[in-house]
Amino acid sequence: MRTKWIGKSFATFVLLPFCLLMAFPFVWMLLTSLREQNTIFNGPIIPRKFTGVAYKDAWTSIDFPLHFWNSVWITSVTVIGVLIFATLSGYAFAKLDFPFRNTLFVLLLTTLMMPSTALIIPLYLELKSLGLLDSQAGLLVLYISGSAPFAMFLMRAFFQTLPDELIEAARVDGGSELTIFRRVILPLTRPGIATVVIFQFLSTWNEFLIANTVLRNTDALPLQPVLFTLMGQYSTNWPALTAGLTLSVVPVVIVYVRMQRQFVAGMMLGAVKN
Amino acid sequence: MVTTLSRHDVVRRSAGRTSYRFGSPLRRSQRIAGFLFIGPTFALFLAFVLWPILYTAYLSLTSWGGFGAPRFVHFDNYSRMLHDPVARRALIVTLVLTGVTTAVLTFLGLVTAVLVNVVWSKVGVVVRTILFIPGIVSFVVSAVLWKLIYDPNIGTLNRLLGAIGLDSLQHPWLADHKTVLPAIIVVTVWGGLGFNMLIYFAGLQSIDPNLYEAAAMDGANTVQQFRHITVPSLRIVTGLIVSLGLLNGFKAFDIIFVMTGGGPNHGSEVLGTYLYSLAFGSTSGSIPQLGYASAFSVVTMVLCTLAVIAQLWLTRRADR
Repeated sequence: MRTKWIGKSFATFVLLPFCLLMAFPFVWMLLTSLREQNTIFNGPIIPRKFTGVAYKDAWTSIDFPLHFWNSVWITSVTVIGVLIFATLSGYAFAKLDFPFRNTLFVLLLTTLMMPSTALIIPLYLELKSLGLLDSQAGLLVLYISGSAPFAMFLMRAFFQTLPDELIEAARVDGGSELTIFRRVILPLTRPGIATVVIFQFLSTWNEFLIANTVLRNTDALPLQPVLFTLMGQYSTNWPALTAGLTLSVVPVVIVYVRMQRQFVAGMMLGAVKN
Repeated sequence: MVTTLSRHDVVRRSAGRTSYRFGSPLRRSQRIAGFLFIGPTFALFLAFVLWPILYTAYLSLTSWGGFGAPRFVHFDNYSRMLHDPVARRALIVTLVLTGVTTAVLTFLGLVTAVLVNVVWSKVGVVVRTILFIPGIVSFVVSAVLWKLIYDPNIGTLNRLLGAIGLDSLQHPWLADHKTVLPAIIVVTVWGGLGFNMLIYFAGLQSIDPNLYEAAAMDGANTVQQFRHITVPSLRIVTGLIVSLGLLNGFKAFDIIFVMTGGGPNHGSEVLGTYLYSLAFGSTSGSIPQLGYASAFSVVTMVLCTLAVIAQLWLTRRADR
């Protein structure tokens, strides 16, 4: 018992400073966003006086509400789209028997790890020839098509845990495949859906490369590319810049903290199970 | 993103296969439904994943500025790559960045997971959350934040060094060839650690506690238990973490693009940033070099494929 206590204390002793180091950039971001612009050069690292002026600066000068809203709706549509595609195909790959099932599945899987950096040139050209460049529609198409295979993979793992007998019983009762899927299967898949939602929310909200490349129209831009341009514009106004960063991080942290359990469960499923 | 391939997926593929006789109505409706259900996903996949991969491979064999028809030049782009000092630099930086971050992230991930596993459970939850938050904010946010921290004039790092009397160590971190890469590695490790810690933590939790009890009865001390039980039990997890580290390293882009743009003087240039500047970086009015840039896409894809093969290989060895 005694040695156990020593071990726990030792581990805490090592971890706490480590955590402080990891958390430091965020603490610093908050502190900087709350200080007055003229004290960043000579004031103490922890400001004596806090002010919210920087948040007002960031909010009004780059039309924060517009880009925030762009991010919200682009992310929502992507999440819903990916869910529809991924649940349907994940279910088919897990539970339906059709020709070439395994070949098609392996084909989808093997291209899963191709990074968007490597595909950005043909994707750009493709959107251009489709007339979708510089439009949020084009961005949505790329987001959904790029994410659906991975979400499909996750959903398939969930569907595989459902018993076959359930589906067969529904078939004998005469339900069509789509009815069975909607009425019997989907209601049982809530945890899987929650996992896909949080994964997709985080990756879409945080995506930068594709958005920055295919959108030039400033009014259509989501938050991340705008934060990037903000860096150039506000290289002198650190409080406004860090305020903008803070505002963009808040939804992410809220969603993560609220859905932490599903997120961790999903990671385990995606990573450790096999 | 977590992308895992396992040969078990291929082996387990027959699970769920139903046993209706061929041609029975139940069976036929399943076949139709199967194709209808995967149809939309598969169409998108063909148009926006598979086709781009093939098209990149084709473009990499051409010379093309984006206007007119691409001119077929065989493997010229690849031989040009061999003689291009920036390309060589980008490849070396990519490999160094990948190697160092993968090693550090694997080691620190294991260490923090073991510590979190030992600590009181409530402390563990707090630590897990704190370590994980850097991983859920976007690369742009982390890159901008750290760029400010590294700022040579008023950045916090230099100010802290000054405050504790180490003025001599103050440095323009991102503007120096020698320090730019370590600076970027720090940011990458900071962002990726939480994920690895969590995966290792899950692995630790799944080890049968009886193994430790039995070993303790046989007189094994903590270090021996760690070496002979913990490490071997975590082999599959380690394989996954190593290959994900390689994958993330090979596709490194956002952090470097935002923090340094590949500079100073290509000091932090990786394959991703170089291909991007060849294709889209025509701010100076130069013609985009889409063919040459595509050759870097192909190299990146080959490296990523190798990372996945590494994972399959590491998992297979772990099975024995």
